Amino acid sequence: MSAKISSYETAEIRGPKLAFNLTPENCGRMLKRSKRLLVVVGGDALKMKIDDGVDVPEVAVRLARSLGGTIVASPGVFKAFQGVSAVKLINMGLEDAVNRLKDESWKGFDGMGGYDMAVFIGGLYYFQSMMLSTLKHFAPNQKTISLDRFYHPNATFSLENLTPDKWKAGLDAMLQLLEEKK
Amino acid sequence: MATKISIKELDSQFAKIRGLDLVIGKIVEAGEEWSEPVGPTPYPDITALRSWDQRLLARYPPFYSPLSDFCEFCTYGKCDLTAGKQGACGIDMATHQGKWSLLTCVMGAAAHATHAHHIVEYLIKKYGEDHPIDVGSEIGVEAPLIRLIAGIKPKKLGDLKEVLTYLDNQVTQLTSATATGQEQAPVDYESKALHAGMLDNLALEVADIAQISALGLPKGNSDTPLVEIGMGAIDKSKPVVLCIGHNVAPGSEVINYLEDKGVYGSVEVAGICCTAHDLTRYSKNAKIVGPISRQLMFVRSGIADILIIDQECVRADVVDEARSVGTRIIATSDQVCAGLPDLTEKTPDEIVKALLTDTPAVLVRNPVKVGEVAARAAIEAAPQRKSEKGLKDEQVLANTSRCSLCRECTENCPINLDIGYAVNAAKKSNLEPLQKIFLECIGCGRCDEACPQSIPVLSTINAAASAKIREEKFTIRVGRGPIRDTEIRNVGRPIVMGEIPGVIAFAGCSNYPGGNEDLAKMADEFAKRRYIIVASGCAASDLARYRDENGQTLYEKYPGDFDAGCIVNTGSCVSNAHPIGAVIKIASIFAKRNLRGNFEEISDYILNRIGAVAIVWGSQHQKAMAIATGANRLGIPVILGPQGVKHRRAYLGRSEDDEKWSVLNARDGKKVYGGPAPEHLLYVAETIEETMVMAARLVMRPNDTAKGRMIKLSNYINLHKQLYGTMPDDVQRFVRAETDIPITMKEDVIPVLEERGWKPIEIPDPTLLDRMVLRRE
Ligand code: SF4
Ligand code: SF4
Repeated sequence: MSAKISSYETAEIRGPKLAFNLTPENCGRMLKRSKRLLVVVGGDALKMKIDDGVDVPEVAVRLARSLGGTIVASPGVFKAFQGVSAVKLINMGLEDAVNRLKDESWKGFDGMGGYDMAVFIGGLYYFQSMMLSTLKHFAPNQKTISLDRFYHPNATFSLENLTPDKWKAGLDAMLQLLEEKK
Repeated sequence: MATKISIKELDSQFAKIRGLDLVIGKIVEAGEEWSEPVGPTPYPDITALRSWDQRLLARYPPFYSPLSDFCEFCTYGKCDLTAGKQGACGIDMATHQGKWSLLTCVMGAAAHATHAHHIVEYLIKKYGEDHPIDVGSEIGVEAPLIRLIAGIKPKKLGDLKEVLTYLDNQVTQLTSATATGQEQAPVDYESKALHAGMLDNLALEVADIAQISALGLPKGNSDTPLVEIGMGAIDKSKPVVLCIGHNVAPGSEVINYLEDKGVYGSVEVAGICCTAHDLTRYSKNAKIVGPISRQLMFVRSGIADILIIDQECVRADVVDEARSVGTRIIATSDQVCAGLPDLTEKTPDEIVKALLTDTPAVLVRNPVKVGEVAARAAIEAAPQRKSEKGLKDEQVLANTSRCSLCRECTENCPINLDIGYAVNAAKKSNLEPLQKIFLECIGCGRCDEACPQSIPVLSTINAAASAKIREEKFTIRVGRGPIRDTEIRNVGRPIVMGEIPGVIAFAGCSNYPGGNEDLAKMADEFAKRRYIIVASGCAASDLARYRDENGQTLYEKYPGDFDAGCIVNTGSCVSNAHPIGAVIKIASIFAKRNLRGNFEEISDYILNRIGAVAIVWGSQHQKAMAIATGANRLGIPVILGPQGVKHRRAYLGRSEDDEKWSVLNARDGKKVYGGPAPEHLLYVAETIEETMVMAARLVMRPNDTAKGRMIKLSNYINLHKQLYGTMPDDVQRFVRAETDIPITMKEDVIPVLEERGWKPIEIPDPTLLDRMVLRRE
């Protein structure tokens, strides 16, 4: 029997192009191939630690470090990254960041070129959904992956809807896989 | 485009003419009492300001976030427009989003224009066309938007009719552009959306100055009375007439009738949304239940004996909800007939009888009649009202036993509250999570619809929070209407020089991501920092619904002047005209710029010199987007809260695009760097931290003096450090000379500037308009 994948918000029903649903392990395999990774951390990230027990800033830092990626953190959560070293960190609102990501001629935060993968984690569901929609429609070559606990149909790849425990365990497994690389 | 031909003196073989200004479709006789010359765009048509719009859109291109992947506007469709695909008619997604943008703004503009029609027609019928426009003795510039856009100076109610005719004509033309096969470029859709926004702002002013003049609403005085607001403020022991919507006419007639009969003190007249504001402006004994988020909650309480619905922001289920708790309903507007039988032609006796017997919901399109009928029916119905209608709290909460924690409700909540978890906790007798949700809930009721166990979820939230509801009683300063010319004279210079760090206007609906307290905390912080705070509509109500650590509401804590460190409530949605009008008046009164038909020049002035920004933290309605877009055309940036992303469009600048931030120096015509000031015209923020720092950034203007920039930068850097823990990444873009750096921050800032290769630049006399250059080198 095939499982029904639906968006987290009931009415967030999209069209023919929906995110490929991946397990956390498959996300890890996919991410391993990334040469220029951008991790976009949304403004709901701190709440997720309280609600779901997942320390999203820590996940983002481990992820970026393991792949040499850059983190762009929404201003509301930026303070949580204070004192973090060995990773490039940008403080920028999601709309501002996506406005740059959708521009094919943009040279990235370091001037070295665009990003081959943008990971989204920690955003307000409806807000992040719309940012992913912008990229899906206006930057069709920009690959995006949502590592949030909820399925995001507008990403290129997304986790399915998970319980907090499964999400936490899945992210751990994914990070271990990525960190093994080193 | 409207064209003006001025003929000072013509002596030809055909005619002799002296002192004649000709404007398309209209002749303005020289020597008319208003001596101000007519600018280039009186009554601009839909393309008259296109070149100004294109300047704005080149700097702040539209940023689209589609809410749906399809176009469903014609029978070729549905068409999939994903990722570059075109629809059967040839439209692509960006153009489709442009169409949505125009549609949203034109819906808002049409709603406000119709509202203006209704109120002006009612007032003319009652007070006559010659009733003078008088919005206060200290207010010489009585109608800044009308002067600026229409190019007329209205003296009596009848003068507003020509502005209404213009609005009708333009709204029709804009709507026509959205039809299939018409407009086809996003940039032109956006230019038209900006036009719709401008019309919306104009309609606001028409409606408000008419009602201020004729109904004797406050005329700009700062010390209007404090009145009660809150679900707990309503005296249930009295008959209760509840008015929902935006048109004060029927509600004010209820008060008139009760006063005539000498029984006003024994009947409670209250409102929700903007009618509530205007009722308290009309009579300080009226009460405000709350903003739109309280609509369903309060109607379900059954406390109202009579519910009057007028127009705009009336929930589509309110008639059924009110009926289910035994409240009688009177619909009053052509816009919201609600499927009800029209009893307008019946006598008051017949209508009262119908309401109290077999027809508990009726349409009556005559405000005077509504006044009598509602008052009489409420008095008669009140004794039949059970002390508490519907189920008792315990009975409602007992429903939670059916909760299976499926979380369907959570997945339907538009702001992602974990209501399922809270209902399930209540099942185990823990009401705390539900009580917390009450503080954040926007009262939409979507969770009710979602629950497969038919648990009335919203009622459950209310039952859990019933003690809080009873205590929900705050104070709000009655909407004062316009800003006085004397106030503009006092603050004009410090605002333009930047010494008052900015004007921050709070507007919009109560569609917040996490409760209204966030809004109030933002206003509190900016008032403490001595910005000028202005609020209108549901945002003004929500600022009141909060007490600080000393138990004071913001209206008790801060004076109501248009001055640094004060909080002004201008009134209802239509009173949003006044913060916008105040900004225009700075250009006119302080800078002595002509307003008459001079839109482009004044917008250029505002964009480059007046540090005003609006925060629409809870945008829900199309009207909110229309108001914001109108402000944008005038050069006022707006920040929306996260739900505003569903309006699908922002106008974003890019701070690193140095080329786009050049301005002309009016002193010598040279192109110089003006900085990303303001960086965006319409930005959607995710969190309050982002909103606050963004607001402190968006009030910067190229014209700021060194002292002014120092004050603005000091707030910006300080908030950035406080909320983000770091020095702003873009500080170097805002320092023109070392004198701009706040003295106490020099040690921190100078090394950063050096590291980032900063070089001093000249402070220009900034403009985007060639014709404003005084002298070319
Ligand atoms: S009524 Fe409140 S809890 Fe229910 S869906 Fe709406 S916002 Fe969420
Ligand atoms: S939808 Fe109903 S049954 Fe499901 S979690 Fe919510 S309240 Fe409980």
